[in-house]
Amino acid sequence: MKKPIVLLLAAVVLLPLVVRPAIAAEIWIFAIFGLGLNLLLGYTGLLSFGQSTFFGSAAYVAGWLLKHYGINAFLALGIGVGVGAASAALVGYLCVQRSGLYFIMLTFALNQLFYFIAYQWTSVTGGEDGMPGVPRPALLGIDFQDPLTYYAFISILFLASLWLMKRIVESPFGKILQAIRENEVRAEAVGYNVPRFKLLAFVIGGAFSGLAGVLYAMLFGIVPLEAIGFAFSGNVLFATLIGGSGSLYGPVIGSFVFIWLSESVSTLWARWPLLLGVAFVIVVLFLRGGVVEGWSRFWSWRSSKQKT
Amino acid sequence: MAILKTENLTKTFGALKAVNGVSLGVEAGTLHSIIGPNGAGKTTLFNLLTGTFPPSSGRILFDGRDITGTPAARIAHLGLARSYQRTTVFPAFSLLDNVWVAAFATGKSWQGLMWSQTGRYTEVTTRAREALADVGLADKADVPAREISHGEQRQLELAIALAAAPRVLLLDEPAAGLSPDETRKMVALVRSLKGRYTIVLIEHKIDIIMSVSDRISVMHFGSLIAEGTPDEIQKNPEVRRAYLGGVAA
Repeated sequence: MKKPIVLLLAAVVLLPLVVRPAIAAEIWIFAIFGLGLNLLLGYTGLLSFGQSTFFGSAAYVAGWLLKHYGINAFLALGIGVGVGAASAALVGYLCVQRSGLYFIMLTFALNQLFYFIAYQWTSVTGGEDGMPGVPRPALLGIDFQDPLTYYAFISILFLASLWLMKRIVESPFGKILQAIRENEVRAEAVGYNVPRFKLLAFVIGGAFSGLAGVLYAMLFGIVPLEAIGFAFSGNVLFATLIGGSGSLYGPVIGSFVFIWLSESVSTLWARWPLLLGVAFVIVVLFLRGGVVEGWSRFWSWRSSKQKT
Repeated sequence: MAILKTENLTKTFGALKAVNGVSLGVEAGTLHSIIGPNGAGKTTLFNLLTGTFPPSSGRILFDGRDITGTPAARIAHLGLARSYQRTTVFPAFSLLDNVWVAAFATGKSWQGLMWSQTGRYTEVTTRAREALADVGLADKADVPAREISHGEQRQLELAIALAAAPRVLLLDEPAAGLSPDETRKMVALVRSLKGRYTIVLIEHKIDIIMSVSDRISVMHFGSLIAEGTPDEIQKNPEVRRAYLGGVAA
């Protein structure tokens, strides 16, 4: 087996020994969320500031159905993926018509629109209080109330998502998205309908976000209002940039750093976002490829030292 | 028979008539050059032919078929490929990936678009390697495009157009910014492509034009002012006036 896979499996197994299973689970959920964003950010070169739209919509819809109709967990996940993809299709359709700053502002504005719908529609979403009471139903006789069992379930879904994303970015489709990132004009001229490919990237990214959203709702038993707010959109962007937006594993590492910092350090030091800010500044100024680039630079530096 | 034809093609930007009633016929298998001073509307004409934007009026016929207003992404699939005056490649990609993406676009099928590994498309990869070999970059296939010289980028620019296996090749100043030595290489390259493709060539350097063209059209202030063989063009008084006097009388 290749090195990243071994490292990943080791991380999945060891993580719940180091941190609480709920936090470990949150790390992988956030990683799935980041994978979806990175298809847009790292591969297509689209800075979407509205990813929580898809995350939150899926969490609300699936959470509501789980709560009131007691649907099956698989069905809830399927619906979440569907809602994530559908909301991304809607938002994406409007956003891909524009580029640059206008594109970014559109993703942000539409995110705010969804946020205020959730905020106002208190009878369903609970508004500011969030939507509590999302159950975690047993599946195929397996009781997910046990944190470790649910963690295992999330880990498997995370690994499956990562594998799926790997296939997607290594396919011709992935290559075409990167071509769009590199040179939109030429990509169009050689025969690709650029807006349509961008929209597809949105829909796929939305599906991943939707999956993450439902898992999140089931993990904490609540859909907080922030799940559809701009802070969540920003967090996933932050995490992905810190991890490294250019590579497949960037958002996974970024999610680990981000959640671990926010959950562990925040109990010791209330000003922990300061650390995050410093990390972000370092990445933006010196390490555009994030932790992944830092890692590969470190190794090439070491091997060059050993030679001399 | 003319494989590419325009009828009264016009494009206006506000009050400016960038292309003004151009009727042009490019015979299959020939090298047809378009010359003219800066701002004569040559590149705008290319942009119209490749669907970058639609014409204000007039028609474009490709192989007898009306393609007026066809968007750029469709044009490539019809068999019309272009290169750009300003190098327009995929900088972070290896040279092979640069041409691979273009070859895949016009490949036989997009089956497995989101699932198959790119290495599986052997037919596409073969075509991509051939395009690189055609321009003499085969040995640099794995080098990122941003690391090669300007001259080589101009060759790559051409290879991307070739990879689409077009029937008509539109070359927008392939020798732009090249040294005399590199220019000679580029001219040899264009000449080697002659006969294999129908080529429409925009160029500023008159000596290149005269030596490779079968026919030449001269544009001035958006209009065609002359058309003929290199010999005829050289003797045409109006062309001389446009080039030497600035304003056509």
